[in-house]
Amino acid sequence: MNSIIIWVRGLFMLILSVTFLEILLPDSSMAKYVKFIFSVIILAGILNILK
Amino acid sequence: MNYKDIIEKQMKNYLDTGDTDSLSEYAGRISKGISDNFTLDKILNATVNGESIFDNREIIENIKALFLYEIRSALVIAVEIITVCLFIGLLKNLSSSFGKSGINQIANLICAVVIVGLTLTNFNDIYNLTLDSIKTITYTMEILLPVLISLLIAMGRVTSGTVMSPLLMAVLTGFQSIIKNIVLPLLFASTIFTLLNCLTEKDYVNQLSKFLRKASLFICGLLISIITGIITIQGIIVKSADSLLLDTAKYSLDKFIPIVGGFASDTVELFLRCMGSIKNVVGVFGIITIIILMLCPIIKIMAVAIVYKIIGILTEAIAPPKLSSGINEIGSALIAMAAILFFSSLLFVLFITCIINLGGS
Repeated sequence: MNSIIIWVRGLFMLILSVTFLEILLPDSSMAKYVKFIFSVIILAGILNILK
Repeated sequence: MNYKDIIEKQMKNYLDTGDTDSLSEYAGRISKGISDNFTLDKILNATVNGESIFDNREIIENIKALFLYEIRSALVIAVEIITVCLFIGLLKNLSSSFGKSGINQIANLICAVVIVGLTLTNFNDIYNLTLDSIKTITYTMEILLPVLISLLIAMGRVTSGTVMSPLLMAVLTGFQSIIKNIVLPLLFASTIFTLLNCLTEKDYVNQLSKFLRKASLFICGLLISIITGIITIQGIIVKSADSLLLDTAKYSLDKFIPIVGGFASDTVELFLRCMGSIKNVVGVFGIITIIILMLCPIIKIMAVAIVYKIIGILTEAIAPPKLSSGINEIGSALIAMAAILFFSSLLFVLFITCIINLGGS
């Protein structure tokens, strides 16, 4: 129960901060790779509950 | 001595009226006076004299007043959310004068975060309300079950009493703890993810939130059908065992004791039937109390859900489409919460009906 609360809270903060960072990202050729890495980080955050 | 005297006197003997009185007082406080029409004494009088216990007009008036009151108090959050949405719409139209688009996007995001914060606070209140009312209904059952079971045993249904009492108590506690620890938190997590999803441009957790909500509803439904099955089947078995025992006792009293045996057997039967009426009165009181305790939170939740749906309709014109669909989804989540509350109290009503059925008469 407690671990679920921690997971939900962590995921919420992670996605919120990633959204902020994506907006702040400068327009360069690297932007799309950085976005992909952000997606991978969120995937890791979702999978975090399985540990 | 007629049957009315017997019933009233036995009622005083067998019932600890302090419990039921405190129960109806508590229900009256929660329901703002709806349950005052249904105290144990009133139901008993109505049963003995053969009158109707429902005073339709007054009940409908009370429920209408409660509903309008809840709508009014939910309108505050509606106004707040719509104001922030108007601000978002304004920002979007002014974005050309800011020059850089990043600042505009961040301003939009911050407004959306404010809306999410408002909505989550409100949702948290309703979540706590649902938890509280499930706790209250369980507490009501914990008071009523021993009373009903002791009346059942006083009617001579010994097997029913001894088998059903621990079963019902165990099921009650288990059900409450599963609802409190698994079903409702899952629904809450699903709502958080729904709201989170309307902040981001891409869908990150859309499927996850849908899955969590479906899982919580599925667990609730599965639990209710399993418990209903167990209680019904067990009820049939103990009922037949008891009726065999009781018929044998009556027959042997009638036939094996000469001369007075017939009278004794009839007296026993009259006594048992009176106990049966008392049990039915207490059972009806329990059902009505549980329904009223369920009705008030459900009216509140449905009022808030309707307000959210209306916000969703209104903000579709000005806010980004994701935000309005997210608010609309909150309305659906609230309706799901009301459904869970409704079905769990339906289960408790079923318990009482099962006990009423066990006694026959």
